[in-house]
Formats: sequence, C-alpha cells, structure tokens
Amino acid sequence: MSTVGLLRTLFNPKLLPSNVTQLQSLNRSPFLLGFLSNHEQVRNMSRVKRRNTHPGYWLSLKNVQKKDDKISADNLRFMREVIQDKYKNKSPLKVSELQIEKTEWDPKTKRSGVIARNIGRQQMWDKDGNKIVCTVLHVLDNHVIRYIPPEEYVKTSRGAIHFKNKTPLGCLVVGAEATNPEKFTRQYCNLFAEVGLMPKKTLSRFIITPNAALPPCTPITAGHFLVGQAVDVYGKTVDHGFQGVVKRWGFKGGPASHGATKFHRRGGTIGTGRDKARVWPGTKMPGHMGSERRYNRGLMIMRINMKYNVIYVKGTVPGATNSIVRIFDTLLPLRKFKEAPPHPTYFPPEDGTQKEEDIWDSRLHVFGSPSISV
Amino acid sequence: MAVTRFQFLSTFSRQFSSISNAHIVQPKLRIEEIRGKRISIFDKEYKRQQSLIPRLEKIEVAYEGFDNETTTLVMNKGVSTPYNCAQHISEHVMKNSVVAEVNGEIWDLHRPIPSDCTLKLLSMKPEDQHQASLVNKTFWRSCSYLLGAVVEGSFQDDISVTLHSFPPANVRSGSFVYDVQLSLDDWVPSLNDFRQIAATFQKFVRQNHTFQRLDIDSSVALKMFEDNVFKADQIPHIATKSSSGNTVTVYRCGDHIDISRGPMIASTSLVGRCSIAAVHRLDSRIYRFQGVALPSEIYINHFAFGILETRARKLNPARTPELKSN
Repeated sequence: MSTVGLLRTLFNPKLLPSNVTQLQSLNRSPFLLGFLSNHEQVRNMSRVKRRNTHPGYWLSLKNVQKKDDKISADNLRFMREVIQDKYKNKSPLKVSELQIEKTEWDPKTKRSGVIARNIGRQQMWDKDGNKIVCTVLHVLDNHVIRYIPPEEYVKTSRGAIHFKNKTPLGCLVVGAEATNPEKFTRQYCNLFAEVGLMPKKTLSRFIITPNAALPPCTPITAGHFLVGQAVDVYGKTVDHGFQGVVKRWGFKGGPASHGATKFHRRGGTIGTGRDKARVWPGTKMPGHMGSERRYNRGLMIMRINMKYNVIYVKGTVPGATNSIVRIFDTLLPLRKFKEAPPHPTYFPPEDGTQKEEDIWDSRLHVFGSPSISV
Repeated sequence: MAVTRFQFLSTFSRQFSSISNAHIVQPKLRIEEIRGKRISIFDKEYKRQQSLIPRLEKIEVAYEGFDNETTTLVMNKGVSTPYNCAQHISEHVMKNSVVAEVNGEIWDLHRPIPSDCTLKLLSMKPEDQHQASLVNKTFWRSCSYLLGAVVEGSFQDDISVTLHSFPPANVRSGSFVYDVQLSLDDWVPSLNDFRQIAATFQKFVRQNHTFQRLDIDSSVALKMFEDNVFKADQIPHIATKSSSGNTVTVYRCGDHIDISRGPMIASTSLVGRCSIAAVHRLDSRIYRFQGVALPSEIYINHFAFGILETRARKLNPARTPELKSN
C-alpha cells in the first residue's frame, strides 16, 4: 500500500472529530511526521470556513450611518449634561448584596465570564528567580444586561444549536465599555435602555447554570476570579493578512543559495499528476492567516489588582495588544475549582473591610519587598 | 336643491353654535365631502382672482443672493411668485428655499409679488440670527397646520373630529400645537396611537404638497367653513383684524384647507423627522395635540431628538380655546 493510501485509512474523515483545533494537533504530531514527506499533505481542512467578516443577519445596526449637523457649543454642553444626569447612579441607598439571592456553589456550576482587554505583556519572577511571562488583561466596566433562563434560551436560534442534545443552560448577556449614546443607533441603545445603562461597545453571552444567574445592572470586576485559578481566554488571533506558505503552514521552502532560481519561499509541488489528476481541495497554499477565534485554555492567574481591575495571566492570549478577549473559568477537568469561588460573582464586603488592593500568587516575588527575608 | 341644503346646514350649525358641539357627528366620508366642497370654493375663488388681472404687466425684482450679489429679474406683476424667481436662479435655491423676504417683509414662496421689490430667499440654515428665528417660526406654524390636517383624517368613522385652532408659533415652548375637539370623553392615547399619527404625518408630508395661499372675503370664508362651528365663530374676529377689515387668509395643502394668518413654508418636502409627543385633554372634549419636528435638511442623532421629544411632552402653555358653553 502506498504511503498516501495508508494515510487515507488512518485518517478516515468519518472517524475524526469535527473540532478544528484537534485536527491541527494531529497533523503536527510526531507520529505523523514520520510518514509524511515534505510534499504529501493530509487534506482534512477542505472547505472549512475559517472566518467571516460580515455581521450576523440577526444583529441590528449598531453604529450611526449619518453624520450630525453642526450643533452649537452650548447645545453640545447641554447634551453632555443630560447624558451625565441620565446615567449617573443617583440612588442614595447602598447597593446591597441582599438583592441577589444567595445560591449554593457546586462543582457543576458554570459561572459568568468577563470581557477584558489585552493591554500587553509583563514579566513576573518567582522566588527562585525564574521569569514568568504574563499577559496583562484589563477587566473593563462589565455590567450584566439581562439573564435569559434555560427554557427561553433554548427557543432562540443560537440556543437551539448549542443545546441540541444536551440539557439546556441559561445565558447571561454582559456588556462592557460604556460609550456616548450618540455614537450608536436607537435600536442598539434600546437594548440597554430597559435596564437604564449607558450603551456598551462590546456585548457578550456567557452560558451559565441557573444558580449563577445575576440581576441586570450588576457590575462584574476582576475580583470575580481568584489568584491561582485557571482560566480559558477566548479571542481572535492576530491578523497576519495574506501570508505565504512558509509562515502560514510551516513549509521549508527552498535553499537560499547553491543556484536556486526563484525558489526560496515557494510551496513546491501541489499534486501527484497520476492519482485523481487534479489539485485536491484543502491543499496548503498561501492565503489569509490569522483573525480566527481561538481559546487558550488552562492559563493560571498570577496576580490580581483590585483597584485597577487588572488580571495577570501566565502565558499568552490570542489576539494583538488592545484587543478584546473573554475570560471564563477553565473547562480543563484537572484544573477546575476544588473550593467555592466568589459565587455568583464578587461583591465588596459591606462592613468596609476591602480585600487587599494587589493580590499576588504565593510563589511570586512581590516587587518592592526585600529580596532576603529575615 | 343644493342651495336649500346648504341654507339648512348653515342655520342648523348656527343654532347649535352656542351649545357644546359634541352631538354633531361628522363621519369620515363627510370629512371627504367637506374637503371636496372647500376645495371647489377655493378653486373658484382662485380662478376669479386670477381673472381680475386684465393684462400681464412687468415688474423688476432685485434678487439678493449669496454674498450680497444682486440680480435683476423681470417678472409678471401679480402672477409671478418668489418660487418662479428661484426657478430662474438654480435648482438648489428652488428646492431649499423655505420662505422669501420681499422688501424686508416675510412672504410666502408661492404668493404672487404685487410690485417692484427686493427679494431674498431664505433656506433652513440662514446666516442671520433674525432671519433664522423667522424661518423657525414659519416652520413651526406650518407644522401646526399639518398636524391639524393629519388629525382630521386619522380617526375612525364614528368619531367626530372638529378642528378648533392653533395658537401662534412659539418655538421656546418646545412643541407645535393643534387644539381639536373629539367626541371622546376620556381618551388616553397609547404609544402605538402616537406612532400611528406620526406615521400618517410622515406619509402626508412625503407627498410633497405645496402651500397655496389665498386671501378671501369673510363671506366666502364663512361659506367654506360653515360645517366647522369653531372656525365659523373665529372668521369674523380674524376678518376685523386684517388690513382691509374683511379678508381672511386661507392656505391649501393637498386636500386640506385651513385658516392661518402668517406665512407658511414652501412645501411639505421641507419637513423631515417628526413625532407626536403628547395629547393633553384640556376640557369638555377638547384635546391638545403636541408634536415636534425637524426640517429635512437638518439631521441630529436619536439621543438629541429624544431630548426634544421629552421636552415636547410637557403641556404647552399657549392660550387655551374658550368655549362659549362654559
């Protein structure tokens, strides 16, 4: 049997899972590379739609299409005052925890996630002097917009797909980054008008168990997470644009010298000529690279700053600096919570004893502390 | 037969003019009949006034345009309107002119010019503050008129709708107003009702009707408005205030005719976004319809327009109609 034939029996598409990331890892496993020569590809990526740039048909128009006529400076000032008056939290009463029902946490609970912005990378050092590269995530002003109970969510088109053969769960709609309502259309602002919130730039859905439901207008801060827990970060990868075959698929290309004419970064052969006599769908070629949705799972939280709502996460996160990411409690079974986290979310204690401003992981060396402890 | 029928109607309405007029039922079909009758009287009077001009004489109109540039136009006396002058200048001026200034006096765009004059055509965004306030008032006045036109045809056949009047335009009050009598005792309109009236308003406005002005004798006006008791009462008062002592100014827009003193905008195409903000019940079945609108040239975001709408919901402090019965 030819190598290709053997490969085809090994990689029967019907046996393989449909998950794209798993396929990629299989392609790169050392077991396979032994069988693959430089020019024989495993074509399981055929016709997979990796990205789209248009918004969903169900979404209402978000940004205003028309530019305002010149409004006088007086009127602009007046409108700013009206916005501040309307959205300022005017209630003289303290926001009490008692409004939220006290529900029990159990290991099967799925808590809400958080919308954050990746603001770059920083290094931390552990007590042995080893460098740990961390990504700094700034938890934006998250507010709960609404909670959709499981029975209702299953009836929506998205929910029906999500819970086709599983027990339905609820959906929490969270928004982040409050902005001037004049920038958005009226339909978009109405999504927030019912709760009396300023329209948010980013919206996100988090699938949660009903016991982790939160009422609208609840703020979610960095305290929602614990130092030392593992999180999954979901984001859109860095957009590399149209890339060649060497960067995109890791091809070796050709020799830099020794008489090679115009063959340094090219793909080489794209088919056999005999078998099937055509280019097979899914052949690795140059094309658009990046701007795909990915999860980085099991990242450990090294440090949380409660004052500035910043989380330091070990490792890297999909996407470029200043892009929006979503952070969830991890799905990885061995890194899940063993004890109850702040459930359903973190609320600053009423008696004023705040948590410390900066919480570090135990094995980290805290900047500013003496290097030798006596 | 028609003559006797009209005579009967006029005595009938005069008998009841001093009593609360809620008992007179004017079904929708009747409203269309009434409108048709008014239009025929209007057309007849218009033709008669046109025929009074023996022959066309020429006048010189000094048009002051952009950057104080003056052009002299030779137009027909008593026939040419500022709109005709605009047609000689450019399409942009023609489409965007709201109202004219003839010898410094605010003038309708479709009203004939009687003699040699200086002409200025004002758009929705004039440079001068004073001009801007005049244009604003004209726009507000026209919107009140249109509100009346729309409300008359908005109600179901079994409800009688009698337009009373609208107070002078006051932009500072935040809304334009029309007082209407309905045969409903305690009507609280729902949000949907407001949207429906606003939709009818928009539909009417999109038909691009022009405002045609006519100065008529008070007797002709009484004949025109004999079925509307309030208007019939008001006509003698309005006539005495006019310059000749006997004339009443009426405006026709599409199928609707109403009495108004001041100049109106050129056409309904100049009205853009509008919304009916509130309906306040004054007393004994008189309802005050309030609305707010923007010219089609001016666009502001939904939040700013929302502020205007909120302001327009407050009861307009303009004069309330007094009923002789009370």
